[in-house]
Amino acid sequence: MDIVFVILLCVGYFVGNYLEKKHFQNIKKRERQTIHVPVVTFGAKQELPDANEAALFLGSVVVSADYFKMFASSLRNLVGGRVVVYESVLDRGRREAILRMKEQAISWGATQVVNVRLETSTIGNRTSGKGLVAIEVTAYGTGIR
Amino acid sequence: MVYKPKEIPEDINVTSVHPLINFAYLLGTVAVVSTLIYVVLGAIATQLATRISPEMEAKIGQQLVSDLAKKDKKVDAKQQQYLDSLLADLQKSDSSSYTPLTIHIQKSPVSNAAILPGGHILITATLLAEAESENELAFVLAHELGHHVARDHLKGLGRSLVFLTVASMLGIGSGDANVVGMTGSLTNLHYSRQQESAADVYALNAIVRCYGHGNASLDFFNRIQTEQKDPRGKLSSYFSTHPLTQQRINDLHQIASQRGWKMEGDITNLPDKIFDEEPNSKSNQES
Ligand SMILES: [Zn+2]
Repeated sequence: MDIVFVILLCVGYFVGNYLEKKHFQNIKKRERQTIHVPVVTFGAKQELPDANEAALFLGSVVVSADYFKMFASSLRNLVGGRVVVYESVLDRGRREAILRMKEQAISWGATQVVNVRLETSTIGNRTSGKGLVAIEVTAYGTGIR
Repeated sequence: MVYKPKEIPEDINVTSVHPLINFAYLLGTVAVVSTLIYVVLGAIATQLATRISPEMEAKIGQQLVSDLAKKDKKVDAKQQQYLDSLLADLQKSDSSSYTPLTIHIQKSPVSNAAILPGGHILITATLLAEAESENELAFVLAHELGHHVARDHLKGLGRSLVFLTVASMLGIGSGDANVVGMTGSLTNLHYSRQQESAADVYALNAIVRCYGHGNASLDFFNRIQTEQKDPRGKLSSYFSTHPLTQQRINDLHQIASQRGWKMEGDITNLPDKIFDEEPNSKSNQES
């Protein structure tokens, strides 16, 4: 087997795993810090809670998969089924995006963030099958105070 | 409504499985399935090689030869007729397995002969030009005939036989780029040592039945043996697809003496100047 391939796989696994662990620790810490402000999805067709001011807040993050994840998912492509390795990437993206939105809202002085929506898009060319495999997750909502 | 802060539970959106275990499982699945396909294809190919119907084989052969026929230059009717009758004589000696065979003379700078599915024998003009007697030419033909009778040409195709069969069953592949690419490698088929010696014995047997002796029939191989050291030698191409050692020549002589085949006798000459090369192509090869 190609030595370069093995090196890339090892770098992807060890570095990717380390960074992912650090990121999750960071996310959990910040989630605990901001837990006092509710983030809710209602507000689109319901009446908003009584408030003096409202403002839009948007948090966005781009997360990339590592080489190991890409190879594991290409194997998964052959047999089908749940792409377990990408679940953590998406989870990191969603939670990080919500946190960024929430942190902005808190610094503005929001008592809660309503009507929160999440959107995901892929970045990078998917046709060649090589190159960047990254997702952008955007969270936006209305902060009220 | 009162908001009660709660910590977000883990492991809802992320499956708690170690990435390496997941990876090992995937790798194992892919490896097992590919091995299975490889083994099954091999088994099917072996079954096909021994059981394929003559009609199917002819179809596959047609598919392979249709590309080659375009490359053929105009065939000398006299040469073709002579080779056909020579082959017919050889086949007559073995009445057990008669199938119609077609000889294709190919213009090529290399000296080689091969058998394709469907009873198509390819023989290059260079090999014909180098033949010094009918006996040695007959041996080359009989050797390929031996491969045909033993179905070595089908076995040699290996797993691609399955794809060729499916392609010709579906009626696709003729003129297809893949098949054209394959025909290039068809003349480079490698047979096992056992298959080669079996074809040799078959050939010598046919020669002895046809001419009453095996004299001069091995001249062609003897010449390869001496030319083999020169990598530029034209005969070395035949050598590359028909690995020939002194051992094999010795074995043939041994078998001949065991079975009481005469190795002495009158040499049959080729018809006058029938395979002489055109002067211009000759000068090209000398340079
Ligand atoms: Zn052979």
